[in-house]
Amino acid sequence: MAPDVSMSERVALWLRRPGNGLLLLSLVSGAVTHGVNMFRYPLYITDEGIYVQQAWSVVREGTLSPYTYFYDHAPAGWLLMAAWANVLPGQFQAFGNEINTMRVLMLIAHVISSGLLFGIVRRFGGGALGGFAACFLFNVSPLAVYYQRQVLLDNLMVMWLLLAVWLVARSRERVVTAMAAGLAFGLAIVTKENAIFFVPALAYMVHRYARGRGNRRFVTSFWWFALSAPIAMYLAFAQLKKELIPSGFNFDLDSPPANHVSLLYTIWWQINRSGPEGRNLFLRLMENSWLARDPYILVLGAIAVVGVLMLWSQDRQRRTGYLVAALMALGYGFYMVRGSILLDFYVVPLIPVLAMNVGLLYGSLMKRVPRSARTAVTVGVVSAALLIPGGYFITRNTERQLEAHDLYHLAVTPLQEEQIRWVRENIPTNSRLIIDDDIWTALHDREPYFPRAHSHFKAASDPDVRDKLFRRSWRNIDYVVVSNKMRAAMERNNAGGQEQWILDAIDLHGRVVWELHRGDIHLQVYKIGD
Amino acid sequence: MESLIYAGLVVISLVLSVQAGHVLYLMLYTWDQPETEQPARAPDEFVEPYLSFTAIVPARHEEAVIAATIERIVRSNYPSSLLQVLVVCSADDTGTIQEAADKIDELRAEGYYNAELVIFDDQPINKPHGLNHALRYAEGDVVTIFDAEDEMHPDILNVVNTVMCTEDVNVVQAGVQLMNYNSNWYSTFNVLEYFFWFKSRLHHHARYGSTPLGGNTCFFSRELLLSVNGWDENNLTEDAEIGLRISALGERIRVVYDDRYVTKEETPPTLGSFIRQRTRWNQGFMQTLRKGVWRQMPTRHQRFLACYTLAFPYVQAIVGLYTPAALIMMVALHAPVGVALFSLLPVLLLIAHLVTAIVGLREFTEAHGLTYSSGTVIKMILTWLPYQMVLAYAAVRAVRRQLAGQGNWEKTTHLGAHRAIPEGKAVSGGA
Repeated sequence: MAPDVSMSERVALWLRRPGNGLLLLSLVSGAVTHGVNMFRYPLYITDEGIYVQQAWSVVREGTLSPYTYFYDHAPAGWLLMAAWANVLPGQFQAFGNEINTMRVLMLIAHVISSGLLFGIVRRFGGGALGGFAACFLFNVSPLAVYYQRQVLLDNLMVMWLLLAVWLVARSRERVVTAMAAGLAFGLAIVTKENAIFFVPALAYMVHRYARGRGNRRFVTSFWWFALSAPIAMYLAFAQLKKELIPSGFNFDLDSPPANHVSLLYTIWWQINRSGPEGRNLFLRLMENSWLARDPYILVLGAIAVVGVLMLWSQDRQRRTGYLVAALMALGYGFYMVRGSILLDFYVVPLIPVLAMNVGLLYGSLMKRVPRSARTAVTVGVVSAALLIPGGYFITRNTERQLEAHDLYHLAVTPLQEEQIRWVRENIPTNSRLIIDDDIWTALHDREPYFPRAHSHFKAASDPDVRDKLFRRSWRNIDYVVVSNKMRAAMERNNAGGQEQWILDAIDLHGRVVWELHRGDIHLQVYKIGD
Repeated sequence: MESLIYAGLVVISLVLSVQAGHVLYLMLYTWDQPETEQPARAPDEFVEPYLSFTAIVPARHEEAVIAATIERIVRSNYPSSLLQVLVVCSADDTGTIQEAADKIDELRAEGYYNAELVIFDDQPINKPHGLNHALRYAEGDVVTIFDAEDEMHPDILNVVNTVMCTEDVNVVQAGVQLMNYNSNWYSTFNVLEYFFWFKSRLHHHARYGSTPLGGNTCFFSRELLLSVNGWDENNLTEDAEIGLRISALGERIRVVYDDRYVTKEETPPTLGSFIRQRTRWNQGFMQTLRKGVWRQMPTRHQRFLACYTLAFPYVQAIVGLYTPAALIMMVALHAPVGVALFSLLPVLLLIAHLVTAIVGLREFTEAHGLTYSSGTVIKMILTWLPYQMVLAYAAVRAVRRQLAGQGNWEKTTHLGAHRAIPEGKAVSGGA
């Protein structure tokens, strides 16, 4: 390009390239749907608090967790969060509070993921319209927006995963691209381990694309090598801390090794961990949580996977990407239905993959529609999804009035902030508090500090907190800052009776000193004793 | 104090990682950008022989191999009238002189009159002096060098004649390849070093106009060679030096690499001779770095590439000294986990180099119609670190010799092991 071309002319030139207008629209719509009202909805959840507190620990204490890090997750996700906080002028307070600051990172990750998804679908043969359709679902589906706003490792993992796929799809020739793709996928795995269920699809893709090329051996070898590098560093980290292998080589799940935590033991425990309800849990989450938020993406996505596989079978040589997209959905789908522990946000990596399949199918269908009618059809579909009540944007409230979806106007996190404010203004800072993780960083990173505020999980299971600070007695608790979500979590986590002493403290020795009730949100502060 | 040491460890680890990553990139250059290899391949069809060639064969104590080399060059697929072969020896090397003279007589009896013996009796007795001496007798349009043990391809002169006639180029470097990859524990790596150098890295150097030439199978226009006063007789790597000197003049150097037309050579037969050869190369690079021809290159990238290549022996020496020191410090100081992880980065890159070597072995054997066994790969894995230590030792030795002012030529023995591998025959590799 000539050096005297101005920036605005460059932008105009870029926009005139086929498909780039739709890409820009996808990026902007992703930023808008995720950015609007994201600080106020949804509620801050426990897992967000845990990841933010671990990022806080990296920045403030130089450790991976303020408590004993027991390798429950690989740390790349919150290391990235720590790096993000570290470069911001106000660090964790840059966007008002700690979780909001990380939600901005999630927004950036989402916009990047949108661009990558668009590029993948286009490269796989779905065209720009297919890319736009995929991004539309990814950006606007209430299921997607709800979870993708939250500070979850899965959201960062998705970004690395899509980057890995996009790199391979973009350039099949270069060895360094294969290395970068492998490294991105390795980072996805050490961000959230469930990325491992995408290995078959991505490995197939890399090997298939390299077939017949003179550099195929280097491409495939270095993809595997680069993929292994972050994992190897994680193992080396554990080994350097002498926490790779459990003491006495004890892998007995009934009697965990007591001397020190162990990465391999935790992996073994995770593999053998099964939910009390097995596959029923998947069905329950599907019915109560995921389908309730957006049935369309799940149903359409499942149909699209079948359709994409059929399209692939008609032209296997030219539609490798179709098979890759379907394999990604099937690989992760297998993980979800196999009957292990599931949390509702585990659906996050499935969303872009289903959107990818829908995009490919839509792109393929559009090729059969006259060129002149494609735009009109797409505008029609998008308008219907956004404007029909009960769709992606317009809903009816309890008074049957039309309004925008809760995602875009409901304010629930201010209630949680109000609870924090009350704690700050009314509780002495040296008090011993049991709290939920979602307010942990707020009480540790902002003045006045509450150094003896600990989550109920740690108070129930971390020997340092449970036995040394609280000594498992209600007499050593001053306040419990609780929500109905936390209460439910405590009861779920009480199968072995480990939370009972805290529940007793609330029920038998506590009195409510502050409370706030709004809809199905119930926040309280209990004073324990006297 | 401890924190300073840790900071030093982190910085050195990062620098070494970047350096190792860059070397890896250069090794994989043509595989990474396959479009760069295609134009470097030999032409599929040759033009009529037009240019005349003078092939200089410097030989010292090469009784075992010189006769076969002369015969191979003389009988190459190029008109005798356009080929002059000059075997150059010092007067004290009577054994080689006798062997060469006998072979030349034998060829004359068969009607080949284009081989001559050139003898010098002045100092210094080294390869560049021999080359300069022979250059006086050279009559060809193009001057080339073949080492005494070289097995050049019979069509290499046709390849270069075609390239020089069809492209505006005065210097051509063709491929050289060690072949006896399974002779001993270090030969596999040595063979692969040549493979990656000539098949990949040299293309990067040529592309950016900063090419350290190889010691043989390089072709110069005689006029150009005379205009730069031939080779530097005080340099232990006169080949690399002249390549950079010519590059600094802005002269384009064309690299031709084609697995079919490589000149075949052998690895040094003993570890001692391997270390001496490597020491000599390292010293030669250090001499060339100090001489500073690279500073005259016109662009920053050219200068960087030349300086980076010539300074590599120092890096290797530092690595050799740093590695045990880093290990001791890590154990003795109980370095923090973060510091220790940074220290592991160069190790990761080292493993990447091993992966490259293993894949490279597959590529090499396939290109030359050979096979290898899993035993060879296991041997490579086991001997990778010892090989790196040998290289580091040779670099440290070169620094020591350089500091002590020892710049004499340490001769490499040749046995002709590469000739034991018939062309196209599968050789089973064992551990």
